[in-house]
Order: sequence, then structure tokens, then C-alpha cells
Amino acid sequence: MPQTLKRRAPGRFRPSGRVIARLTTTPLIVGLGVFAIYPFIYLLGLAFTESNLIEPFQKWVGTENFQDALGDPRFVGSLGRSVLLAFLSTATAMVLGVAVALLLDKAVKARDLIRTLILLPLLTPPVTAAIMWQLLLMPQGGWLNGFLMDLSLISEPVSFLGTPTTAFLSVLLVDVWQWSPFVALMSFAALQTLPSEVYEAAKLEVRSSWTVFRWITLPMLFPALIGIAVLKLVIGFKLFDLVFVLTAGGPGQATTISSFYIYRIGIQQFDIGLAAAMTLLFAIVVGLATVPFTVAHDKAEDRLS
Amino acid sequence: MTKISDKDLEGLERQQDGFSRRTFIRGTLSAALAAPLLANPKFVRMARAMDFSGKKLKFMVIQPHAGSIEPLSAAFAELTGAEVEAVQIPFDQVRAQATLDVVSGTNDFDVFEYFYTDLGALARDGVLADITDRIEADRASVDPDDFLGSLYDSYTLIDGRRYGLPYDGDTHVLFYNEEIFDRNNVQAPTTWDEYREVSAIITENEKADNIFGSLIMAQQVPVIIGSSFANRLGGFGGNFVDADGNPTLTSDAAIAAAQAMLDAAPHATPTPLETGFGNSIPLFLGGQAGMIEFWTDMGTWAEDPEQSKVVGKWNVVPMPVGGANTVNRPAMNAGLSFGASAGSANPDMAWEFVKMASSKEFHAQVLVNNKTGVDPTRKSAIPIYKEFAPKQGDVVERAIQDAFPWPKNPESPKMMQALTDELGLMMAGSKTAEQAMGDAQAAWEDIAG
Amino acid sequence: MNRRLYVPLMTLVLLFFTFPIIFMAMVSLKGQADISTGDIFPNVLYWRNYPDAFGSIALDRYLLNSAIVASFGALLTLVIAVPATHAIVRYRIGRNWLPAFILGTYVAPPIVALFPLFFLLRNLGLVNTHLGMILVYGVMNLPVAFWLLSSFVRRLPVELEEAARVDGVGYFRTLRSIVIPLLMPGIASTGIICLILAYNEFLFASFLARSQDTQTVPIGLSLFQGDRQLRFGQMAVASLAAMVPVYVLAVFFQRWLVRGLTTGIGK
Repeated sequence: MPQTLKRRAPGRFRPSGRVIARLTTTPLIVGLGVFAIYPFIYLLGLAFTESNLIEPFQKWVGTENFQDALGDPRFVGSLGRSVLLAFLSTATAMVLGVAVALLLDKAVKARDLIRTLILLPLLTPPVTAAIMWQLLLMPQGGWLNGFLMDLSLISEPVSFLGTPTTAFLSVLLVDVWQWSPFVALMSFAALQTLPSEVYEAAKLEVRSSWTVFRWITLPMLFPALIGIAVLKLVIGFKLFDLVFVLTAGGPGQATTISSFYIYRIGIQQFDIGLAAAMTLLFAIVVGLATVPFTVAHDKAEDRLS
Repeated sequence: MTKISDKDLEGLERQQDGFSRRTFIRGTLSAALAAPLLANPKFVRMARAMDFSGKKLKFMVIQPHAGSIEPLSAAFAELTGAEVEAVQIPFDQVRAQATLDVVSGTNDFDVFEYFYTDLGALARDGVLADITDRIEADRASVDPDDFLGSLYDSYTLIDGRRYGLPYDGDTHVLFYNEEIFDRNNVQAPTTWDEYREVSAIITENEKADNIFGSLIMAQQVPVIIGSSFANRLGGFGGNFVDADGNPTLTSDAAIAAAQAMLDAAPHATPTPLETGFGNSIPLFLGGQAGMIEFWTDMGTWAEDPEQSKVVGKWNVVPMPVGGANTVNRPAMNAGLSFGASAGSANPDMAWEFVKMASSKEFHAQVLVNNKTGVDPTRKSAIPIYKEFAPKQGDVVERAIQDAFPWPKNPESPKMMQALTDELGLMMAGSKTAEQAMGDAQAAWEDIAG
Repeated sequence: MNRRLYVPLMTLVLLFFTFPIIFMAMVSLKGQADISTGDIFPNVLYWRNYPDAFGSIALDRYLLNSAIVASFGALLTLVIAVPATHAIVRYRIGRNWLPAFILGTYVAPPIVALFPLFFLLRNLGLVNTHLGMILVYGVMNLPVAFWLLSSFVRRLPVELEEAARVDGVGYFRTLRSIVIPLLMPGIASTGIICLILAYNEFLFASFLARSQDTQTVPIGLSLFQGDRQLRFGQMAVASLAAMVPVYVLAVFFQRWLVRGLTTGIGK
């Protein structure tokens, strides 16, 4: 392909690649600046003042909102649940998603069809996904309970969404169902970028799929996988619609994760000063949880290149 | 005069077609549909021949009232010549959407539909216009004395000023499945003890067939679990707050109400905490539950053969009582009014709309329209309603007369959320009724603090 | 892998991911009384959900709005993110802080940020417009696009670009003729993700879209959910109708995903 490209007349002024490169990042930086920095400053202002939507920034209250947030056991509890849910769902979705991607890579028949079919959960609007799973999980007239009882695995219907532990696991299940396809799609795309010669040669010599995967595929895929995991982790922290519809945070506080709790404080109760402080605290937690992975990601990328 | 398109006609025909299938709708209905509002001279006079042609009115309704959009829009357009646009909002978002519209200065809307429990907040935040003087000036056509019992004040009055006019007088009644009751040889309960016993008998006998004695809606959403609690609170003669506005959640009645909910749970469709509007309605309509506390719309749905297996097999009684209390005091669960936006560019037009929506004549029309789900707000509407819905008529009349309200001070949304959380913990088995009510009381005192 | 193992495994995977969708398709054919029977298949076919779903909400209008804001939003994301990601990775612009900043803007939940953004868009006259939502979605997903694309850019063989530079090929021409074709699998998969994120976004849509002219499918669906009597059948119809266009687009994008692979990196 390169030889078909025309040469430029020598001597004409051409800004160095670096300058143009810098210029092409401008829209991204400006866009995010407006979208993120301005709200961030506003958020800071809200968090340190007595504020509601009608009269923001009434008076400086220092760290009072932060103290209130940290003194609220429900908020602190929600942070823990957010961390737990985000990590569990990322881990599960990664294992499942990568396995599916590997399976897809092996597929011969109907590969394209299967690959798009697997995307369906990701396409499902979250509100609908929650409602459909609610129907599947209902103790009375829900399909899953009937199925498990037919198999004699249970003798009484299980109240999946009405029992704290199973409600949390149900949210996890639906989140994994919805987001594993994302992992599968991205890891499949990453698989396609692996140099196929090495791969084929290894396959011929070793012949055990697991050995090839463990010693060839995985190390080469590793940086990309951490990248996908980081994004899934952050998206997991932002989970909202699902909890809103599936459990409304219940039973008790069992599925009240921070994004949902902040919504309640900010949008339903309009205490946006407190909600702002909670948002900042939550962002710090998400940041702390993510940083080790981004560092690992950078290192892995450097090692590879 | 607006031109009627084929599509409109089709819609109207389909509507009438649907109605004709319903056996319990009689005379008034066809009259109400056939006779346009304009034929009513009194109604035309009421509108004072206001001419708003060339102007546009935009109003917000909650999604459950989507069926009201068409009649409201058509009537207002015909009366005033204004162009009317409506936006539907999920019921849990009205306050946030209305407030943001006014506070941000966007002022897209002229009229908001609101839950009376949000009234304190909406008035304090300057979202709704104070229409006290307009009501006084137009007293003859508004006819406030015609509103039922305490409903007018509960829905519109805060700190001596009025911010809207009632549209839908909501209250719960107890629906039951006669077929299931006959099969089990039980009678409709009059006390919450009987309710639990009846429910236990049915569940015991028919659980194997997936039929349960009752549905208790206890999903952790204020309007859902809060309504179930309020029904029992009224039954035991309790109140949310006393005359001075102090919380009374640790009263004997309140604790007994919470306890009654907890005690009935094992006999209800599993499990109350998972039961919200969405999944409970199909269960009752599918004949899989003996009793449900619900708004009167349930009666309309239950008679629709397309979605109901219990056509003609249901009946309705007032909410049971409990403890020493013998007089049933129903709770005002939900309840909607229209108010003029404080940001409306055309307050006269907004007021005319609010007035029309709550007027006797228009109310009589939407009351007998199956698609609106509107319950009576006016005394004059009671006879019409009884004819329209003979089964519910008497019960609803009594229920709406002397219903007791939820808190509606500016902190009400926060308070109801706190109560919801505590009731949820109780239903999940983490707290006893006494603990939950004690903690809710403390939370309320803290919020009022 | 053992082929005997492959077929049952793949079947299991497919079942897990598609069963709730099949269930939804069945719900779309059920009347209300059929919802809680515990059966997968409807006892009585209730076709009326289909016309009724379009009658009870302005579904066609919502679909059109969603298509407009999501596709242009995703396009905007890609137009900004592809050259920027390439530049940041290749020229190490912003060293380590810029990538960290980009991801950092994405970690906070957007609930409170909603208010300042709403005020900003109002002042620009962009509330309740397609343009406003396209801008929000276009920018909102930039961190996702950057993060996903950067790992693909890193995997591009740098030699080709260097050869082009030595040959005097211009910056943008190199981008267009060499980088983008090689990045196609990454761009396609990233595009699908951004499109889906924009298409299903609810929170911003519910406040920025304030009339039927701009309201999107998730708002329409929330109206079903925000009703007391949840019309399960109609909601399923509306959801299926919402999924079809994105599914078709995804199929279309995936052809690129494969083509990118064959014009390929390994060759």
C-alpha cells in the first residue's frame, strides 16, 4: 500500500508531526474540559457549601457535607457494596467474556451469526433487561423457580430479589449477563490483532489448546485484557439503572450501591450539596480501586512494546 | 374548529369498541363520549370565552395519567384555541423535572401535575404559582365547596395559600377474588386480623396450585410500601403526624400497623419485598391471589377480558380496621392535582387550564373514561361515578370522604424515604416492627430537626 | 480444542446470553394475564401488543430520535477520538497525565454533574435539541473510546507509518490511508460500544430531552416502567423494536471487524 502513495514536493513547509499530533488532541481535551472540568468545579463548590438546587452555594460550610456523608452508615455501606459488586462483576465478566472470545475464535460454522447473537444482552436497554430478569426471577410465576423445582434442586420457591444475599447475587448475575458480551467483543477484537504466524506455529508444535493459551495467547493478550478490565470496572462502579428497576436498593440496603444512593440524595431528595460531597468521595474510591490496574496496564504495555 | 382526521376517528372508534365490551359501564358513558364538552353551555361560560389562539400551552403529566392527555388537550384546544402539548413523565420524576424546569429558567412548561406529598417542596421552591387570589376571584366556577371532604385542603393548601386544584382523588380499597373466597369458604375481612386469617387459609389450601391469599406490595419505593403501611395505619386509627406536625410513628397504632404487615407477609404472595405494581397486577388479574389493596383502577382492569381472567369474579370492600379502632380511616395514597408553573410566560392561560382540568364538567367527563384512571374529587361526581363503577362506587365514596393525608411539608419526600427504608428492613427480617418504627421516628425527628 | 466439547459449550453460552431475549420475544406475545404463569410460551397469542406499543407511546418518534442522537454522537466520538488517541499514543502527548486525566473524567457518577451541564446547555440554547444531546453523547463517551482504541493503536506496527513519513506522505494522509484501515477492527468494536452506550443512556436523556421531538427510546421505556400497570408485552415490543436497528448496525460493523483482520496486521 505505501508505494502507491504519492511523494510530496520536497522543500514545501510541513509542520512536524508532533505539532499536528498535538493539534488533533485539542478537540478531545477541550471537549472533556467542558464536560468534566466545569462540572467538577461546580461539584467542588456544591460540596463545600450549603446547597440545594434552588439556591446553590448559600454559604461556605467547609467539610460539613463530607462529614455528613462519612457519618452516614448507609453511604459508607454503599461504598463497600459498590466496590464488591464492581470487582466481582468485572472478574466474572472477564473470565466468561474471554472464554467466549476464545470459543468464537475457534468457531467455524456460523461464526459471524454467533458473534452478533452474543452481543444481544449488551444491546438490551437496561430498563428492559431489569424487567425481564425480574419476571424470570419472581418466586411466584417466575420461570427460574419453576425450572429449579422441576429439576428438584429446590423444594420451595426462592425469593431471589427479596433476600439480601440472593438479591445482591441477582444484580451481579444480570450485570454479568449484560456486560460479558462487551468483554467478549473487545477481547475477540484484540485476539484478531495477534500475529497469526506465532500462533499457528505454536499450535502445530504444542497441540494442547490450554498450553497455547497459557503461554502464548494470554501473555500477548494480557495488556489488552487489563485495559478491558479497567473499563469494565469503571462501568461496574457506575451501574445504576439495573438496581433502580430490579431491587430499588433493597431488600433493606442489600443492593444499595453508591451510584443509586447518590441518585436518591441528589435527585429524589434534592440535597445536592451532600450528593456532591458523596460523588467526590465515591470518585476517590473508584480512583483508588482503579489505579493499581491502570499502572499494571501501563507496565504491561511497556513490556510488550 | 379543528379538523378531525381519519386517524382520530379510528382511535375514537377503537375506544368505543373497547368500552362496549365492558359490562359494568352504563348510560353515562356513551353520553359523555358522544356529547362534546362544548355542548355544555355552563362549561363554555366557565372558560369565559378566553381566546388563546396562536398561543401554545405545554403541560406535564405523570405516566399513569397518559390517558388524560387526549381529553385534556382536546378540551382546552376547543375552548381556547390554544395549541396544546403534553409531556409524560414517570411518576417518580415529576418533582425533579418540574423543579429543574423552573429553577434553571428553562420554563418550558405552563402547567405541572403534582403529587400532593410534593406540595410543600414545590411551593417552598417557587415552582408552583400561588393561585389563591385567582381561585377567590373565580370562586363561582371553581366551586371549591364541591370538593370532597378534606381533599381540597390536603391537595392544594400549604401555609394558608393554594397552589393548585385537585384532579384525581386517589385512595386504596381492598379488592378480593370472590371465586377464590367461595372456594375456601371465607368472607371478605373487616379487620386486619381477619385479613391475615383469611389469607392464611387460602394460602394453606391453594399454595400447591400457586394461588395465595393476598398480595402485599412492599417493594422499597415510597409510594408502594408506604401505601401498604398507610392502609394499616389508618385501620388502626393512627396518623403519620399529630395535629402539631410532630411524627407519631412510635404510637401504638403505628407499631400495630407495621406488625400487621409483618404478620401477614408469610401468607402473602412471595415475597412482599419483591412485589411492586408491575408484578402484582398480573397476579391478581390472573386469578392467582385472593386480595390486593389498590387504587380503583383495578376494577376497570379486572373487567377487561383481554387482560383479566377475573372478569365478574371480583369484589371490593373498604380497608379493614384493627385494634380498638372500629371506624375505617382510609389513607390518601398518592392523589394528583394540576398547578400553574411559576415560570409560565402566560399565567392566565396556565390558570385557565388548571381550572378547566378540575372543573365539575370536565371531571365528570374524565371520571367515566376508562383510559384516565381518575377517581372522584368532587361531591357532584359521586352519583356519576357510582353509575359508572357500581361495585366500587360506595366504597370509594366513603374512602375519599375522610381519608387522612401523608405528610406534605417540604421534607416529606425525605421522610417517606426514611420510613420506606425502615419498613424494608423490617420486612427483610432485620428489624422488629418496634425497632423499625422507633428508627423511623428518630429519622423523622432528625429531618425535622 | 476438542470439537466434541465445543458444540455443547457454545450451545450453553448461546443459551445463557440469548435466553432472556427469547423470553422477552415471548413476553411480547403475551397478554397481561399470561405474564406470571411461569411458562415461556404464551398460552394465547396476543398480537395486539405490537400495534398497541406504537399507540401507547410515540415509539416511532423515539426510535428516530435515538437513531439520530446515538449515531451522530458515536460518530462524533470516533471523529474526535481516533486521531487524538493515535496522536497521544504515538507521540506520547501529555506523557502519563493525559491518559490518566481522560480516564479520570469518566470515574465520577454523572448524577450531580447533570445540573451544571443542564445549566450550561440551557445557556447555549441546546436543551431539548438533537444537537445538544449529540454533543453530550459525543463527548461523554470519549474516555471509553480513547481507552479502547489506545490498546489497538499500540499494537499497530510503527514501521509502516515511519516508512510513509520517510516517503514524505502527509500526516493526515498517513492517518487516512494507513492507520485507519489497520485500526478498523478497533474502530468498529469501539464504535459499536459507543453507539450502544449513547443509545441506551437514560439519565441525561431524561433531563435534556423535554418533548417528543427529542425524547429517546430509554425514556419511552421508562414510561412503561413508570406506569403503575406495567404493560409487559408492549414494553417487550418496544424493546425489541429498539434493539433491531442497533443489531443491524452491529452486524454491519462486524463485517469491518473481519475485513480489518484480513487486511491484517499479521501479514
